[in-house]
Amino acid sequence: MITDDDLLLYYYRDGLEADERARIGAALAAQPELARRLHTLVARLDAAAALPEVPVPEHSQQRWHAALESAAVQTRAAPAPRRTFTSPRWLALAATVTAIALGLTIYQGMKRPETPIAENPPIESPGASASAEDPAYERGLKWHLASTERQLASLGEATPEARARLVEAIISQNRMYALAAERAGEPQLARVLRSFTPILQDVAEGKGETSASDIAQLNFEMRIMQARLKAGAPSQTL
Amino acid sequence: MLTLLKSWAEPDAFQAVLNERSVRWYNACLRITRDPDLAADAVQDALLKAWNRRDEFRGEAELSTWIHRIALNAAIDLTRRRKTRAEEELDPEAFEAPPTSSAESAYTSEALGRDMTTALERLTNKERQIFLLKHVEGWRLDEIAESTQTNIGSVKNALFRAVHKLRVDLKLWRGES
Repeated sequence: MITDDDLLLYYYRDGLEADERARIGAALAAQPELARRLHTLVARLDAAAALPEVPVPEHSQQRWHAALESAAVQTRAAPAPRRTFTSPRWLALAATVTAIALGLTIYQGMKRPETPIAENPPIESPGASASAEDPAYERGLKWHLASTERQLASLGEATPEARARLVEAIISQNRMYALAAERAGEPQLARVLRSFTPILQDVAEGKGETSASDIAQLNFEMRIMQARLKAGAPSQTL
Repeated sequence: MLTLLKSWAEPDAFQAVLNERSVRWYNACLRITRDPDLAADAVQDALLKAWNRRDEFRGEAELSTWIHRIALNAAIDLTRRRKTRAEEELDPEAFEAPPTSSAESAYTSEALGRDMTTALERLTNKERQIFLLKHVEGWRLDEIAESTQTNIGSVKNALFRAVHKLRVDLKLWRGES
């Protein structure tokens, strides 16, 4: 007795012992009806699996290209010396990112002081590793904040087009880390990350005047966050 | 060959592969996740990992295959983490395909494409993913077991359940007994 399951595994050339494979192979050679059964089964499964392809959404394509562009910029920028940057607006932005990174470092350190922190963490998709228990998520978040700081420092040299692409990439990453923070049960962190987005958008569009108060507000919130983190308050109650 | 090897370190060459192959990657991930955002996240995850290891690839085919596989793994992982449907937490054995009312009322020839898709959608997430990984992507059972964090026996069982449901649905559509 040869079942359809056996036939399928034979077709896949996987999951059968050698002697079983030989037995089914011999049966298929000797019984045309059995061979037809396998052919019909595979044809049905092929039909079920043959879904039409859909085009990639334009915004996804743009996001992938921006992410690659951002990764390439970081690769190029990594060995280069840090450039002194003078724009007060971007200095404030960099300060805010640094403050967030500092706050997170303190926060994560308080949560799990035994967790070692990799010095050169790999780039991780936060969506793929969004768990409060996953060190890759923390490493990715810290990497993101550190790289954002570096990228903001290099914006002054960039052309308007390159600057817009870079900011878009940062915003895209920010969005994913906010989502990851939410999934990890850290709504406060998600909110802070999201509140950074409109300021970055202003930078991309060259609206300096509206950013100053927002940056000040963010810095204020970061100081409160850090103070409460030092006091040991859970993030959800911040 | 040397030129090819060197070219992967250049962003433009990498972007060119993205332009050429991204539809395949995205659709493969979309079939696994059934969620456009998760599928896009999975592809991005794979792209960034591939960029970090770009010097290891020896040609476009190898790079594309690698990204395809990593993206699928990311898609499986993302779907597992999301867990939007409560039944996914429970024993898939308890969730058989909903009964089809009758062959003549449920299926018409115009709806062939839709019903083929529906047949796939009647599977649980686990069954659908395992069926696609095996039948479409050609992964080995042990690779599927590793990626879906289960054992080969469970993979086989889920595959057989999927095949049974698909076979029944398609038979009904064709009016076969």
